[in-house]
Amino acid sequence: MNELSKENLSARRKLKASRFAVYVILIFLSVLCLFSFYMLFVNATRSNADLQGGFKLLPSNYFFKNLYNAWTDASINIPRGMLNSFIIAASTALLSTYFSALTAYGIHAYDFKLKKVAFTFIMAVMVIPTQVSATGFYQMCVKLGWTNSYIPLIVPGIAAPVVFFYMKQYMESVLPMEIIDAARVDGSGEFRTFNTIILPMLKPAIAVQLIFNFVQSWNNYFMPALLLDKAEMKTVPLMIAQLRSADYSKFDMGKVYMFILLAILPVVIVYILLSKSIIKGVTAGSVKG
Amino acid sequence: MNQLRDKAPTKRKGISYAKWGYLFIAPFFITYAIFNLYPLILTIYNSFFENYRSGLKQVGPNFVGLANYIKLFTPDANGTIDILKYAGNTVVLWLGGAIPQIVIALLLAIFFTSYRLNIKGQQFFKTVIYMPNLIMASAFSMLFFTLFSNVGPVNQLLMQMGIADQPIDFFSIKITVRGLICLMNFLLWFGNTTILLMAGIMGIDQNMFEAANIDGASATQTFFKVTLPLLTPILVYTIITALIGGLQMFDVPQVLTNGMGTPNRTSTTLIMYLNNYLKTSKNYGMSGAISVIIFIITGLLSILVYRSLTKKD
Amino acid sequence: MKKAFSLLLALVMVLSLAACGGSTAAPATEAPAATEAAAPAATEAAPAEEGKVFNIYAWNEEFKGFFEKYYTVPEGITVNWIINPSDGGVYQDKLDEALLNQENVADDEKIDMFLAEADYILKYTDSEFTQDITALGVTDFSNTYEYTVQAASDPNGTVKGVSFQCCPSALIYRRSIAEAVLGTSDPAEVQAKLDSWDKFNAVAADAKAKGYYMTSSEAETFRVFSNNGTAPLVNDNGELVLDDAIKAWQAQAKDFSDNGYTLTCDIWSDECTAQMFADGKTMCYFGPAWYFNFCMGNAQDPDKGCSGDWAICQGPQAHFWGGTWLLAATGSDNPTMLADIMDTFINDEEVCSNLIANEAQFTNNQAVNAKFAEDPEYGNAFLGGQNDVAVFVELAKNIKFENKTIYDQLLTEGLQGFWREYCDGAVTEEEAMANYYKYINEKYPEIVTP
Repeated sequence: MNELSKENLSARRKLKASRFAVYVILIFLSVLCLFSFYMLFVNATRSNADLQGGFKLLPSNYFFKNLYNAWTDASINIPRGMLNSFIIAASTALLSTYFSALTAYGIHAYDFKLKKVAFTFIMAVMVIPTQVSATGFYQMCVKLGWTNSYIPLIVPGIAAPVVFFYMKQYMESVLPMEIIDAARVDGSGEFRTFNTIILPMLKPAIAVQLIFNFVQSWNNYFMPALLLDKAEMKTVPLMIAQLRSADYSKFDMGKVYMFILLAILPVVIVYILLSKSIIKGVTAGSVKG
Repeated sequence: MNQLRDKAPTKRKGISYAKWGYLFIAPFFITYAIFNLYPLILTIYNSFFENYRSGLKQVGPNFVGLANYIKLFTPDANGTIDILKYAGNTVVLWLGGAIPQIVIALLLAIFFTSYRLNIKGQQFFKTVIYMPNLIMASAFSMLFFTLFSNVGPVNQLLMQMGIADQPIDFFSIKITVRGLICLMNFLLWFGNTTILLMAGIMGIDQNMFEAANIDGASATQTFFKVTLPLLTPILVYTIITALIGGLQMFDVPQVLTNGMGTPNRTSTTLIMYLNNYLKTSKNYGMSGAISVIIFIITGLLSILVYRSLTKKD
Repeated sequence: MKKAFSLLLALVMVLSLAACGGSTAAPATEAPAATEAAAPAATEAAPAEEGKVFNIYAWNEEFKGFFEKYYTVPEGITVNWIINPSDGGVYQDKLDEALLNQENVADDEKIDMFLAEADYILKYTDSEFTQDITALGVTDFSNTYEYTVQAASDPNGTVKGVSFQCCPSALIYRRSIAEAVLGTSDPAEVQAKLDSWDKFNAVAADAKAKGYYMTSSEAETFRVFSNNGTAPLVNDNGELVLDDAIKAWQAQAKDFSDNGYTLTCDIWSDECTAQMFADGKTMCYFGPAWYFNFCMGNAQDPDKGCSGDWAICQGPQAHFWGGTWLLAATGSDNPTMLADIMDTFINDEEVCSNLIANEAQFTNNQAVNAKFAEDPEYGNAFLGGQNDVAVFVELAKNIKFENKTIYDQLLTEGLQGFWREYCDGAVTEEEAMANYYKYINEKYPEIVTP
């Protein structure tokens, strides 16, 4: 192995070339992605009048003015909106991830009569567009007096077919039954096995779904718009919509872009925090059991 | 893997674990029944009724049988069946975004997890490619709209370079509108898919790769013989969710074309069509019927994809 | 890289922590300022049996601003604003839901008053969800413009609300371009050269020859035509009928687009408003006071604008555009205050004067408007010192609020949008109209299209 044979050399050269190609691709895609953020940033540095003249590539000098205006706007309370959004998004993400893993595990690890039916049912309802049942859902909330309440925005997260499907697929590729059996031999209770042995093994999957569900909930406009109208309960997207439909004397797109920019920060943080656990992944040893 | 599972005894020492199965899936089903099933049944039920609002006055519900469905499939004066046209638009827009999305995401996931390549600055790249997904789709569309508008920088650039002598109206040309929608969907979602696939690859037992390495497998061999088979479940998930997401496409074309699906409704998607009925007139009858059709289309395509991808086992 | 990220992370966390700390105090500051503002004189306005909470539905804060500045809330009453954006129809959706549910909620949660725009006001006035305000004590309409009362009345003539503004719309032109194209910038002379569509269309060709646009959007003239139609868009049999006035607009829009007399774009698009900058090439816009005061920000921009280079005249036909009405909700538990608000915003001279002097409104009080119109000291700097109130006083005389339907807003938006595709050359005329009819069938199943 220590000898540098000709094949080894050419393999190295090949590796170098492909590494170069990979970096080129990555940089190209990164530029594409960063460009949209750059646009957002540039727009957040411009005055309303300037923005109306069309998009420009260079930033202007309205950044702090927009920041000040957005932060001190009397009709919206940005910190409050972010807190509201955070409460909803974090709870939804935790609930859907935990319960989807639990449900997936229930179907993955146990044999019971209705197992196939249950699985088929979830797969079937997964393909139903959310918009389809949205109006019925809204009418139900009105009837039950659940408007201006976070319950209908958070609790339904427990039943998230897409997250379930991911967990189920993930378990299929990484979770052999041997581990569960080993735990049973050790006398671990079923619920404890799930919480203390299975969940840690699903760490990458959980991190991924926490991020995605947090982001999805954070950016959700449709349902909160229908259900919330108290100023102190509004979430970030509702406030942005309110700014966008502000009357002509207060209308300020600079403020709108600034708020959109601010609204992204917390999600970036959540992402950076959680993406570490995706990378850590499962240690090679634990699968062997 | 399947062999392993099949061999694994589910009953040991005569203890039945079945009740745990029911217990673990109960919260999901209870929540689903309360929050989703009732509204869903209502939707299907509504599709057989005439039921809408005219101003503040409610019309119906009057039972009309299959009339709503018949109306949906009645060709217009030019012989076009609208819902099929919009289904076609949706599939074209979906494929245009989803194919590059999945191919590139798979490539990136392999790059990132490859020990040989040992990519530097991974954290940076992974953050950056996921970032478009953090912007609200409607805000993202707003940005693209200003970028490609008649007075936007793209047109200014084209005119300065002498490529165009007057602004190109990107939003009134079929190919450019569709192209932009596909590009935006790709940018919004490829990072997300990359992360999903990466998490899938990271979850694979590292011993498998080591074993392949010791056996002298090449990168390509490792990918097709080890990575891909073990990644199949996650890949199936990615493709099916991309399909579901694609067929539900709404925000991007809605905001980009101001809800019009320009030009000549060639970028109107199924959900935009549904939304047209749902807003203003609260036409639960027609929107219910469209929902059922969307459900059937999505369902059939999902089964097709699922079957064709998992057949090999 | 990692370091940079963790630094950023720490910074943002500190920021968000600070933000969370701040937010706990927030609800307190949000408490309505109503109690402080209450004047002792107004105490008799709140008899014990009336509600303690006054609920107002609105889609933005325009009226809220005027209300808080100029209306004294009776002691002991809290004003609760429920503001939902009009984007995507959210405002009307929620308002409708609340009105339909009005009977089932506690008195203090009932809607007392809500705001509506000209394009859909009929939906609410012609329903049982609004009530007769003359029965509440608002009876003096001697100073208001007749069309504003008409607009707030149901088909039987029962008045359901009032408007705090009057919105006659004028032709707003660039003085320097008028000088180049017409040889004059004097409002009276410009008016003489543009007082019919034939003249207007002929001048458009001249403008083009001299390198200018007549209008910046083919839809700019739509309101002028549609306001002067002779029949509603939907007839008594529920059939869509495009009036000759609308057809005349369609012909003009296509003609202007094909000949390059106008840009082909939405009137709210950046492309259209960019023409308001000093380097813009467009001569004419159309709009009421609120349009040039607030929607022409580009023209008022200190660096790139052209404030003072504008003037107004009637143009080819008199018309109005927009306006906000206050409607009285059925079931209100604060009838006294409701009536008092409405009366204040149409009959209180001081309030109306303030609306003109401080807020650049054209009010719904003819006496106050006349006072400003005759004031030689008053002039609008944006219009080069022209007395816009004097022009509007004349224009307001010709406003007709007729041939309206509950469908106007979306029928208008749709027609402009789908017709633009034809003007652009993206579709044929038949395709454009077919798409428009489909759009109507989706939005309003009850309307019969050709």
